[in-house]
Amino acid sequence: MILGLDVGGTQTDAVVIDKGQVVVATKTPTGGDLLTTLRTALENTLRDVAPAWLNRMAFSTTMATNAIVQDRIEDTGMIVSAGPGMDPEWFSVGPSYHVVEGCLDHQGFEAEPLNRVAVMDAAARIREEGIKVIGITGKFSVRNPSHEHRIADWVGSSFYHVAMGHRVSGALNFPRRIVTTYLNAALHGLHKEFLDALVHILNEKGLAAPRYLLKPDGGTINLDKSIYSPASIAQSGPAASVMGALALDGCEGTTLVLDVGGTTTDMSVVLNGTPLLKPNGIRLGAFQTLIRSLMTHSLGIGGDSEVGIAEKGGLRIGAVRRGRPMAMGGPAPTPTDAMITLGLLKTGNKDAANAAMEEVGGPLGWDAATTAQRVLKHMAETIAESAKVFIHDINSQPVYTIHQVLEDQKIEPTSVLIIGGPAPQIAEYIGRAFGLPHRFPHHHGVANAVGAAVARVTSEITLQADTERGSVIIPEANVENKINSSFDIEQAVALGRELLSQQAVRSGAEEKGLEISITEKQMFNMIRGYARTGKNIRLKMGITPGLIPEWKRSHYE
Amino acid sequence: MIRAARRTGLVFFPAFDWAISPSHPEREERLLYTQDQVLEEGLLDIDGIVEYRVRPATYEDLRRVHFCVPDEAAVTTESHLISAGGCLVAADAVLDGEVESAFALVRPPGHHSRRVVHGNRGFCNINNEAVMIEYIRGKYGIKKIAIVDTDCHHGDGTQDIYWHDPNTLFISIHQDGRTLYPGSGFPDEAGGPNAQGFTVNIPLPPQTGEQGFLHVMDELVMPLLEKFEPEIVINSAGQDNHFNDPITNMNFSARGYSTLNAQLKPDIAVLEGGYAVENALPYVNVGIIMAMAGMDTTFVKEPNYDRDYQEQPPEITRNIEQIVKQLRDLFLEGGLKTVSYEEGIIVERSRDVFYDTDGIHERQHEKIRCCRHCAGALAIASTSNLGQHILAVQIPVEACTACLQIGLAWFEEGTRGAFSHVYLQDRVRGIYECT
Repeated sequence: MILGLDVGGTQTDAVVIDKGQVVVATKTPTGGDLLTTLRTALENTLRDVAPAWLNRMAFSTTMATNAIVQDRIEDTGMIVSAGPGMDPEWFSVGPSYHVVEGCLDHQGFEAEPLNRVAVMDAAARIREEGIKVIGITGKFSVRNPSHEHRIADWVGSSFYHVAMGHRVSGALNFPRRIVTTYLNAALHGLHKEFLDALVHILNEKGLAAPRYLLKPDGGTINLDKSIYSPASIAQSGPAASVMGALALDGCEGTTLVLDVGGTTTDMSVVLNGTPLLKPNGIRLGAFQTLIRSLMTHSLGIGGDSEVGIAEKGGLRIGAVRRGRPMAMGGPAPTPTDAMITLGLLKTGNKDAANAAMEEVGGPLGWDAATTAQRVLKHMAETIAESAKVFIHDINSQPVYTIHQVLEDQKIEPTSVLIIGGPAPQIAEYIGRAFGLPHRFPHHHGVANAVGAAVARVTSEITLQADTERGSVIIPEANVENKINSSFDIEQAVALGRELLSQQAVRSGAEEKGLEISITEKQMFNMIRGYARTGKNIRLKMGITPGLIPEWKRSHYE
Repeated sequence: MIRAARRTGLVFFPAFDWAISPSHPEREERLLYTQDQVLEEGLLDIDGIVEYRVRPATYEDLRRVHFCVPDEAAVTTESHLISAGGCLVAADAVLDGEVESAFALVRPPGHHSRRVVHGNRGFCNINNEAVMIEYIRGKYGIKKIAIVDTDCHHGDGTQDIYWHDPNTLFISIHQDGRTLYPGSGFPDEAGGPNAQGFTVNIPLPPQTGEQGFLHVMDELVMPLLEKFEPEIVINSAGQDNHFNDPITNMNFSARGYSTLNAQLKPDIAVLEGGYAVENALPYVNVGIIMAMAGMDTTFVKEPNYDRDYQEQPPEITRNIEQIVKQLRDLFLEGGLKTVSYEEGIIVERSRDVFYDTDGIHERQHEKIRCCRHCAGALAIASTSNLGQHILAVQIPVEACTACLQIGLAWFEEGTRGAFSHVYLQDRVRGIYECT
């Protein structure tokens, strides 16, 4: 059996899955203390499940996100080397940020050696401020990590934890690398505390099955391994929903997934069973990071959004949530009240719901039922409008080859899949607003917990080989090997596969049947004058978000 | 979060799957390191820098400018259409008001392409700037446009296309034609009978450095623009004046290009040449993007700048000052001797055009109707060693009735002649015909 648990803003959802079927589903209010919430949710969910029956547990938590948003992260020093370009002081982050001389060019050649005195001086100042963790980031360190390593060698031992930029991601983006390194360092202590406490609770309950955390790219990572990149598990909630939708439905064709919640509606796209990823990293609070995430968009409209009349006269829904629906004793009319008025939902006080609708529609001369219908219609249309912009933005992403321009692949949803609590009540309206086939899966209310439970391990590597420099480098795997001039793209792919598999298995993936996809594969001849001086090979390979083999076996066989 | 002082559009099309030939400077890798540098700098995350997706231009877009012989399909590939189309995307972004300025970082380049195209000259088939300008004129009703070509090579293609157009001021700053391809671009090339003084060539000696270029900007280019009062300014942003460039002899720098751009403030910049793909383009392009966005470029410089950049020698400085003085006299102080042509007479000229990349020899005989009301009806008879013998007739935008009629008559007459093809580009009625 598999346990899946997703901590949301107001509710924590959990499921137990047995042979591809959801056998337990619970909802626990999310309290102020995350660990207490986790303990309660576990108790609620595992009442009739023996610990030994579980063979896998996966958690999607708000730990990192909350710590960042509430500014509870640890004071962290940064040592940064840049070289020409934008003024590195513009990217200053944290209480003790130091730029030191030293520069690598885009090929990874050293253009200016590191200034050891400046590094030692920066470290001394960070220590003087009582700071115990540091982040080290260099421009183009993913092309040559030697400067970052050298700084760590010189000063690392005097800090409790050191995070290095080249380990974050192989992508090129110096400002985001700085920020992500900073967050990985600043979250390290908190994350460790959280892991210790969670492990303590699990052990206390005799829950010994392999443990995973969900990441915002819809993949999981072994709990223990997450300590090396604590920021990479932030904001996994939307990914949990998408993976749940995929698990419960299969998402053939081009599926627009809508997760209609209490305060927001999250949207995403799944292409023939593979969720779309964002080209850049996720934004966490004010920080733009290199953390890979699914392409999702959040709209401030949900079942509990406030309904009123806009200044121009029409209906207005969201972006505020003032509390529970009026039918449940809340202060303001909501779409949930509309659902109750129309008899779509059999909870709460129907009279209060009717009163809520009359409050909204009365001044316009509409009765409760008319108002309720118009509220749901308006809600669906607003979501459809927003989805249109979301799809348009996806289709406006730049392309860089003639092949891509001519292919002109555009995303065009062929159906809408709705999950979240109010899915059955809003589905008809959504279908009409989109003019597309629509459906909602069984267990739509706990899709997020299902998603956490059955998401497989994801992993990614970026390989760059430069035969002129004589090196192949895979920063995520901390690998730099010497190569000779005959190194070719087949060898690059083979090396990439090997290292990616190792990395995935370390993160908790099953070794057998790893589905590796190559997302970028380029080779350029490097020419000086009219003579070839080398080859430049670039690969991006990954295990894209998907479902664990166990779920697929029980479901499709 | 870092914000751009000016909203800037970026159209990036490196054409990673296109080259003239495997070891040609115009090859797949050319913008690879620029892309690396732009991505690593995080420029695309800056609030106010917006990246756009390219779209291919259509044959119709080309036909507002070029006569492709025998037809468009024969002398262009997808890459040329996408490169030109990238410029149209940049133009729309600016003229629709989405951004204040835009940079089309596209390849292949275009400024050696002339009005008649038999093949590739100087790595160019299609004149991206001209295709963009005529699109802008058609779509946005803009008339007065200035082009400042800062590529190291004389922008002879653009000069050819706007030679007769008094509504387009073409300024080219380049390495002296006696020392570099294409060997033209001297001060006495100042425009056709109907557009005398609207072509300004500024040839500079080899080794011209930051000081020289910026002196030319201050003393010549900026005053010329002030005098012409264009509605928009286009920069043909070649980057081969760079001290690291392998095929030129100038001494300019990323810092210099940034300063030049910040001063010129072009509405749209279009990449032209520049073949120091590893040690100049990444820095020059970052500098130009930042300058267009109104950002401080103090820290933009080549890693080898301190070691390899050389101050301009004093004799070069004196030489440049002389050239600038001479050109100021001609173009700003009224010293240019213009010829007063009688309305309606036909002026003819003949010339040979060599297509270095494709090895084509072309012989042109051109006639223009002198006109005070419009750019004048134009006819070009062109013969190439590929066996083509064509007549191309252009009736310009807002042509007067007389020019329209004579243009149509030339076309009619041509169709009865011995030409392999006769073309009509009628910009008044928006018609392109080919027999």
